[in-house]
Amino acid sequence: MSAAIGASLTLDAIRACLEGAVPATIATCALDGTPNVSLLSQVHYVDPDHVALSYQFFNKTRANILANPIAVLQLIDPPTAAQYRMELSYLRTETSGPLFESMKAKLAGIASHVGMQDVFRLLGADLYRVTAIEAVPGGAPLPAPVAQRSLLSATRRACEALRGCADLTELLDHSLCALRGLFGVEHALILMPDEATGRLFTVAALGYDSSGVGSEVAPGEGVIGVAARERVPIRITHMTSDVAYSLTARDGAEDAGLTGGPAREIPFPGLERPHSQLAVPILAGRRLAGVLFVESRQEMRFTYDDEDALATLAAQLGALMQSLPPAEEVAPVPAACLEAGGAPVVVRHYAADDSVFVDHDYLIKGVAGAILWKLVRDHTTLGRTDFTNRELRLAPDIPLPDFAENLEARLILLQRRLEERCGVLRIEKTGRGRFRLVVTKPLLLQETA
Amino acid sequence: MCVFAAATRLLVVWNRTTGEAFVANDGQRGGWPDRTGPDGGRPARAGLSEAILHFLERGVSLVVSSSDRANRPRVGRALAVQVPADGAWIGVCLDRTANAALLAAVAETGRFALAATEPSTHLSIQLTGEDATVTAADAEATILAARHVDAFAAELALIGYGDAFTRALMAHDPATLAMVRFRPSRLYDQTPGPKAGTAVPP
Repeated sequence: MSAAIGASLTLDAIRACLEGAVPATIATCALDGTPNVSLLSQVHYVDPDHVALSYQFFNKTRANILANPIAVLQLIDPPTAAQYRMELSYLRTETSGPLFESMKAKLAGIASHVGMQDVFRLLGADLYRVTAIEAVPGGAPLPAPVAQRSLLSATRRACEALRGCADLTELLDHSLCALRGLFGVEHALILMPDEATGRLFTVAALGYDSSGVGSEVAPGEGVIGVAARERVPIRITHMTSDVAYSLTARDGAEDAGLTGGPAREIPFPGLERPHSQLAVPILAGRRLAGVLFVESRQEMRFTYDDEDALATLAAQLGALMQSLPPAEEVAPVPAACLEAGGAPVVVRHYAADDSVFVDHDYLIKGVAGAILWKLVRDHTTLGRTDFTNRELRLAPDIPLPDFAENLEARLILLQRRLEERCGVLRIEKTGRGRFRLVVTKPLLLQETA
Repeated sequence: MCVFAAATRLLVVWNRTTGEAFVANDGQRGGWPDRTGPDGGRPARAGLSEAILHFLERGVSLVVSSSDRANRPRVGRALAVQVPADGAWIGVCLDRTANAALLAAVAETGRFALAATEPSTHLSIQLTGEDATVTAADAEATILAARHVDAFAAELALIGYGDAFTRALMAHDPATLAMVRFRPSRLYDQTPGPKAGTAVPP
């Protein structure tokens, strides 16, 4: 080993070798010097000085590194077949937490990819310090393929595009626009947390037949829920058959009956058979502000570099979310003049979970449901059509902890659900911190305890 | 000891010293050569059954390791396995340029390990020895290396790797080949699973 870390060859420069596309080789030796060599399904990049190896069975390699902490890897660059050797020093094993969870998710994809889903099980993430890297001399590597895009450039342009956004709606829309236009992402979601329940709800979507706005993910559920719980990017590079990471095709049946009445679940819009998935937490300071999720039908679509790029975009998004001023009203607007006519539409509210149905069709629940119920009540009893964010923030009949923090997200959710699912009601912004409830038919309100 | 496959595809490990035989692999993923030696699986050459020798000559991945006097492990990739007719030892063919540190460690300590894995089935074994020596490769080794690259390319094609990739991975200069000769003293079943790395009793 000649090239030390920080000299000519860095771990970052050979990260493509750590994507799990081609197995690596690991050599260790026992205290008596007896060597051991085997193939390795996963070498995980931790930071520029550390990697983690999957501990799946107590085998000879493991016995050796516990006794003699030096290991040597031989790695293969997938596109070129160039080979590298890396000398490692074992530090410790982690059996829970962000590193463990990100390796576990990735291993689930690798396991399914190689038909070992019943065999590969992560018992621990063995953390190693990288002490030396060298290119294997000789050989005849293939030319490196030309990259489709510059992720660094895309990240810069995306961050610049977010900078001028005036409110949360613009931030979400510009983020999805940047993902599609600059990163070539075809399927994406942005979810935000409900501080009361910890569940994440979809507020923006790109590239799905049904937007899924309002669909929910529990903490720890699938790649999105694990990314939110552990606050670490979770990336799967191959289609996994591990149900722990599957979020699609929930039809709401599980939800029916819990609170009485018809199902209240909005189906998750994800791809039925995603081959690549990446969920990146959006942090605003120390607070989880959301999750940025992208997926693809293509294997290995998202690499370590994509993960870094989207983590940077998410960091910018989180900082900008945090710095948005509360959207309070700035100017009065003329009153609405639209007259509702025709047969009445039944709007039913279930107080148990604030779910709202319009003519028997489920629309929304939770905080957004409580907001809608207040709006339609004020509309029918007081004739109001124009509202302010501020009054909702102060409304005693929308009683939720930390509600104020996420008011805008709830309004976006409500606005988009109404657009998609309800031809009778809609919300239009009329100014900063102001909006109008547009009602095109008479409403008949029914309250159910 | 020797290893051979019974008709039921169970991998049976036979201890030459004690005469005991036992199942070392459940063979669920199949693929062990369903073949025994002319004497029913008894040791053929270099203390290995024909089944194992046949496996080593298939398009398997061949990775090797050694350790130096300071107990630092060394790793490398081999190009072919050679077992002479007299059966005294196994030869492992390596590119000298790519494996200088490993060959130096072998010359220093005689320690050597060879893992052979069939990518399409994950079947894997490891052989180790303590008496390895480094010699120049002969003309037959050069031919074996070229033949093994062809077999490995065909094997990797089964799981989606292109021919160009495999040939780049196995590229070597026939003029700089070395041969590590050793007598296997231990054999491990290394097929991924809870038994991976389990040593067969001597």
